Amino acid sequence: MIQFWNKRVKEGILTENTALDKELEAIKRKIKENVKKKFAGSLAIRMVDSGSCNACEAECNALSNPYYDLERLGIYFVASPRHADVMLLSGLMTFNMTPHVLEAYKQMPEPKWVITLGACPVMEAPFEKTFAVKAPAADHLPVAHHIPGCPPEPLEIIKGILDFLKKI
Amino acid sequence: MRLIARYAKEREGTFEIVTVFESKTQREMISKENPVIRTLAKKHPSAIWFERKMSDDFGIIIEDAFDKRPLVHQERFPKAIHPMQKSFQKNTLDFAEFIPYKYEAIQGDGVFQVSVGPIHAGIIEPGHFHFSQAGEDMLHQEVRHFYKYRAIEKMLEGKTLLEAKPVIERISGNESIAYQTAWRDIVCQAAGTELPLSLRKRHAFLLEMERIIHHLTDLGFIPNDAGFGAALAFASKLSEDARRQLQKVTGHRFGFDAIGFENKVLDISSLHDYLEGLQKDIVFFETWIMDIPSLWDRFDTTGILQKADALKYDTVGVVARASGFPLDRRLEPFYLEHGFEIQTEQSGDVAARFKVRLQEVKNSIVMMQHFLEEDDTHIVTGKINDGDYTAFAESSLGELFMNIEIKEGIIERFFVRDPSFMNWQTLHLMMPNNIIADFPLINKSCDLSYAGNDL
Ligand code: SF4
Repeated sequence: MIQFWNKRVKEGILTENTALDKELEAIKRKIKENVKKKFAGSLAIRMVDSGSCNACEAECNALSNPYYDLERLGIYFVASPRHADVMLLSGLMTFNMTPHVLEAYKQMPEPKWVITLGACPVMEAPFEKTFAVKAPAADHLPVAHHIPGCPPEPLEIIKGILDFLKKI
Repeated sequence: MRLIARYAKEREGTFEIVTVFESKTQREMISKENPVIRTLAKKHPSAIWFERKMSDDFGIIIEDAFDKRPLVHQERFPKAIHPMQKSFQKNTLDFAEFIPYKYEAIQGDGVFQVSVGPIHAGIIEPGHFHFSQAGEDMLHQEVRHFYKYRAIEKMLEGKTLLEAKPVIERISGNESIAYQTAWRDIVCQAAGTELPLSLRKRHAFLLEMERIIHHLTDLGFIPNDAGFGAALAFASKLSEDARRQLQKVTGHRFGFDAIGFENKVLDISSLHDYLEGLQKDIVFFETWIMDIPSLWDRFDTTGILQKADALKYDTVGVVARASGFPLDRRLEPFYLEHGFEIQTEQSGDVAARFKVRLQEVKNSIVMMQHFLEEDDTHIVTGKINDGDYTAFAESSLGELFMNIEIKEGIIERFFVRDPSFMNWQTLHLMMPNNIIADFPLINKSCDLSYAGNDL
């Protein structure tokens, strides 16, 4: 602990965002403006994994690391669908998850949107359609926007969220 | 004798039951007309999921099993369908009538049940946990999975090894390189090709890179689940840096498509610089985190898995090593020559699992420094011969087992046992004497895969 404070006194407060390029800064500014205008300053996302390989989730978790720090823009991942404006859906729609995904969607208050994340929910990942997959997600839910990639990198997710915000 | 896997294959007129132990593999033929076997679960409790899965997949009856509930077949899955049978070729299924699943639960005065999942509170994979509680104390927990069941074993039948690769590397995003490494070993066996040392080193470098990313992420999330968010901020920055390095080396942040039979030229000196920097950061992290008493107060004695249980339940990976069970597929000359040292702890609690991860990151850095060398080897693997091939890899979660049978050049049966398939079955042993608020912490300290388990 002492070491930490020594370092802090010596170096002052450092922001980890030094590696970020101008592009991301500009995107973040626009996101913040849009969230302010369209969602009164805070956009709540309920992430639902309906059968991913977990890389898409890992990239969403990365959005909270000190490089991207998405929460500063008023975007939160919430624990309950009842608190959510948006469902961010990743993974193949599996047979076993489909009823649960639909239930979570039903629990969300209006108005609500679904964004699909990554190649899986649109059946573009190399997985094939089997009896265990109820694909694609758009057959079951009204999808407002899609963020492509396998997995989409954090910057691509951020851009995707901005595109969604501009669209609605 | 450690149980590694138990699974079935369909033959003409019979089912073959394959049971893989550490030192031998047993094969038993049973007729399709009367597909009955006896359970192994009395001696090896972890056999139960394998056996329940066989029942669902093939319709095999486990005569004397104490638990005959469906496993992969969930409430609305048509129970009469056994999709791994060759005759089942449909690629759609309709929802059947809802048949409730009966959870294992403890009854008694003042005992109540808590259910969580399948959709959990955070950004995390789906699964279900069912707790029996007396006040805050957990008496019992049942883990229930297979929500992410994508039927990968079936999906890969009829494909060539090459065609199967993009799916195999996406079975579990956290273990992509481990899965690719096991696949690579099978390709080499089937082609009768010896892997050159330089490729082996490069792949081992990538596998350690995958391990440190996963461990670094956990080193942040475990303290975060004990209410110490600062550790997450620090460690998540290190794991992001590591992921960017992996992208620099392989072109992909998770190393998809990274393991093949040719080496790219790398910027070795910048990678050495990176590793040196990481080494300093991790030492700083260690000094800092070991010195926070309130954190260790939460870690110590929480979620204990006794060594005897770790052995009895055939656990693998960090979970086994933290309970004093020195099991690691890297215990072999190639790794030992490149600086591998097995990391074990004795206390089997959250603290032990945290410390094992920390030490493993440090050891991986040393090995990576040894694995790095200038090289651009290319090999041609040659013709794939029919046969039954088995490979192991030590993923960040533990021992991964893969078996692929090739007939007429295509996959006849694909079987994988993710390390988490063993360890999930052990999780309930860590619950008694803990309060429910510690569950996320215990779960995270094991950090098991759902995707790899469910397949
Ligand atoms: S889109 Fe790709 S990365 Fe995302 S869950 Fe599917 S396979 Fe994994």
